[in-house]
Amino acid sequence: MMRRSYLTTPASVLTLALLCAAPSAAQKSASAAKGSDAVNIPFEKMTLANGLTVLLAPDHSVPQVTVDVWYHVGSKNELAGRTGFAHMFEHVMFTGSGHVPYGMHDRLTEGVGGNNNGSTTNDRTNYYETVPSNYLESALWLEADRMGYLLDKLDEAKFKAQRDIVQNERRQGVDNQPYGRAFELMDYGIYPDTHPYSWPVVGYMTDLQKAGVEDVKNFFRLYYAPANASIAIVGDFDMAQTKTLVNKYFSDIKAGAPITRPKVVAPVLAGEKRMTFEDRVQVPRLYLSWPSVGDDNDDTAPLQFLAQIISGPRTARLTKALVYDRQSAASVQAFNNDNENAGNFVINITPRPGTTLTQLEATTDSVLARLKQEGPSSEELAKTSAGLEFGFVSALQSNLGKANILLDGQVFHGEALDYKVQYAKLKAVTADDVKRVANKYLVPGRVVLSIVPLGKPELAASADKSTKVTVAPDGGHYIMGNKQ
Amino acid sequence: MIARTRISTTHLALLAAVAIGTPLTSVAAQAKLDRSVQPKAGASPKLRVPTWTKTKLANGADLIVIEKHDLPLVSFTIDFVGGAANYEPADKAGLAGFTGQMLSEGTKTKSADQLSDAQQLLGTSINGSVGNESGAVRFTSLKDKFEPALALLTDMMLNSTFPDSALERIRGRTIVGLSQQRDQPNSIAANIFTKVTYGDEHPYGRIVTEKSVKAITRDDILAFHKTYFQPGRAVITVAGDIDPKTVKGIVEKALVAWPAGGSRPTFKYPAPPAAKARTIYLIDKPKAAQSVFTFGTPGPSRNTPDYYSIAVMNNLLGGLFQSRLNHDIREVKGFSYGVNSNFAFGRGPGAFRAGGGIVSAKSDSALMGFMTHFKGVQGEMPFTDDEMKQGKESLIQSLPGRFASVNGIGAAISSIYTQDLPENYYKDFSEKINAVTKADLVRVAKKYIDVDHMNMVIVGDRAAIEASLIKTGVAPIVLLDVDGKPVMVP
Repeated sequence: MMRRSYLTTPASVLTLALLCAAPSAAQKSASAAKGSDAVNIPFEKMTLANGLTVLLAPDHSVPQVTVDVWYHVGSKNELAGRTGFAHMFEHVMFTGSGHVPYGMHDRLTEGVGGNNNGSTTNDRTNYYETVPSNYLESALWLEADRMGYLLDKLDEAKFKAQRDIVQNERRQGVDNQPYGRAFELMDYGIYPDTHPYSWPVVGYMTDLQKAGVEDVKNFFRLYYAPANASIAIVGDFDMAQTKTLVNKYFSDIKAGAPITRPKVVAPVLAGEKRMTFEDRVQVPRLYLSWPSVGDDNDDTAPLQFLAQIISGPRTARLTKALVYDRQSAASVQAFNNDNENAGNFVINITPRPGTTLTQLEATTDSVLARLKQEGPSSEELAKTSAGLEFGFVSALQSNLGKANILLDGQVFHGEALDYKVQYAKLKAVTADDVKRVANKYLVPGRVVLSIVPLGKPELAASADKSTKVTVAPDGGHYIMGNKQ
Repeated sequence: MIARTRISTTHLALLAAVAIGTPLTSVAAQAKLDRSVQPKAGASPKLRVPTWTKTKLANGADLIVIEKHDLPLVSFTIDFVGGAANYEPADKAGLAGFTGQMLSEGTKTKSADQLSDAQQLLGTSINGSVGNESGAVRFTSLKDKFEPALALLTDMMLNSTFPDSALERIRGRTIVGLSQQRDQPNSIAANIFTKVTYGDEHPYGRIVTEKSVKAITRDDILAFHKTYFQPGRAVITVAGDIDPKTVKGIVEKALVAWPAGGSRPTFKYPAPPAAKARTIYLIDKPKAAQSVFTFGTPGPSRNTPDYYSIAVMNNLLGGLFQSRLNHDIREVKGFSYGVNSNFAFGRGPGAFRAGGGIVSAKSDSALMGFMTHFKGVQGEMPFTDDEMKQGKESLIQSLPGRFASVNGIGAAISSIYTQDLPENYYKDFSEKINAVTKADLVRVAKKYIDVDHMNMVIVGDRAAIEASLIKTGVAPIVLLDVDGKPVMVP
């Protein structure tokens, strides 16, 4: 069950949908222009005096409506040693509030034929429900109550139960999962210890155990205020009536204090950092991760192209070389994981028997070297572009998809229409841009992580140069080298 | 850079046009809101079931056409009735899936790379797949790419060459995947459950193994392809922004080289193995943080008259987030990140299953919790009126969600014909669900949740959990290895 979840590689997935997600203003071809004219998200925006932003996008094709609330707070707002808090808080938000008894949220969403969920990333937390359109007012009542009155009903017992569930979530998604620690390990390798992106969204087990109900209260008061929230309402609703309802339920919630955002410095690796982690797996796996850039940087568009040109379809360069031509790998994945203020470009490869991680790394490097030297072909650009265009239109079929597209722009770029800008940037990407970012970011300073079967560190890529990483005895964080 | 500037201008113009001036600077005068008053829901929205046409192509395939014009998208699917359970030799599990995958490996006129490039340039992806009781070849594309994509699909379905080298590559990758599954507690639990519940003889008991995959030859694939992909068992569905007047001609013309032939399977299966007394099958996963539970028995087929009662009952037992199992074991006790239950509803005795990942130290308590709730829905814990309301409304009002996308709408309507449901299935759905009574729920729970013969598969850290599982007295424990072979205890 993936309900109420944190996202381990959120940005890559979401960004793909988002970047796919805009009409092509610059499109010249007649047929495609017809397509892009048809794709648009008509919406109105209202801003309440308390700072709450509300985006209203009607779509009457199905008698359902989605309410999606984003709070601009994620794991980067936590402190080292106090990790996992933003996500644990997300769980608490489903346990009832001042005027809403525990269980009522599910009763009035899933119990009437809708659904609900929440998710947390490094940068933001969201809560949403899709309900039959006659339950829109209930949904607004529920969201307003937990925005304004969560603490009225929060007690130790409720908090502890959710803390246990989050620990189970970590066991299920990370600790009990083959290769489950890979992303934590790469972030551990790339970011300095106190960097806001260095710890996992779900948090370290020891930190989760330390969290107390007072922490929750302080966190709520700081970040769960209207001025730090944006709402999208998408689907089958009446515009005028819904604006009245928004005012009715949200206008008297207090604005909240100004927020100091963490300073996120782009990480730089002086050289290559090679790590070996032993896990309960039978097949080793190679992970490469380079510091790149986040959502706030123009290079994300060409990096998106670069990822598609490296892996995915069978004719993508690395996929073709490793999986098809040499048949030395079972699978290859590349993506740019762009968080709000920083990112990393990741490639992971699972070998086929008979191929070592050392060989895979060498072949990968030669494929990347060639791409860096010659840049992509015009056909590679055209194929990527066509896939992104289709993905954009397809994402518009879902109310939640549209809500997230609008909110991503509103929250991270201060403008819900930002998807049009992002799309235009994508359309403007040239072969030279892709070549430039490949040379700029796929540099020697990177993390090379080998996950190998227990007791077999010799299976790591260039094992003699790789340093063993272990989980600290208290299960809290990672230790590099033999510090025991 | 120039492009970006130009587009920014467009963007500002749009901004002005779209964001009509609604910033509210003052709060409308209103009495203090009493937030303890739960808003009353208006009347339920009327279910709008899409309309469709059904005709036949000259070769006998059914053609379903559903219009949906809000976005320039088209979904095209050829569904095949029947699958591996009906057409695959018992010792070659994996053959059906391989054949589906190999439709992408090259045709008489295009190499695999050319097929892939052509799809990418159209912004689409054409996929072949064959599952246990059904298969499909399908794509979704922008409207103006529909015809070229359909031509590619036809070429792949009818003219594939199934090269030996591709078979070897797919075999190799599959074997890596199978060995990775042996690390995955969920995969282990699913495979062992299948084995102990259906045995090696029943088509539902077959699992893909390294041995079965190694037995597949190119001739097997050619033969499976020839037998399986026939219009006599095909339902073609076109859903989306299409012109209903021309679509049949377009499809007929694209598939003109597809000769008539084939028929639907009968889905007559042998009975599953005789039920055994309730047993815990424990597979050791040293130091596992969680125990994975998969409990169940063979269940009813999709055409059972009890379908609606089972749907409501299961919703309340382990379907909804607020179901009894998840509410108790996850939310109240905190033993899990989530537990659930479901009925597979195949053409034959598809399984009833319940389970989830349980924190190791609470495996015994959670086991007893499952037993309590199985017995609870059988009458020990009566269903409340509010549960009934929720169990039904959640099914009825979620139905429109199936009609939101072109893929969803196509699948919803084609399933009527691939699963032999009545044509008024969606129109009558709410009436059928509303007719279910509390007595029905108890009756179907007793009939289909056979607690005395339940197979209880647990994958977890034996050293940490075995003694406490024995102490519960729920069932004797049989130790199995990852392949389902008994472990000899010294």
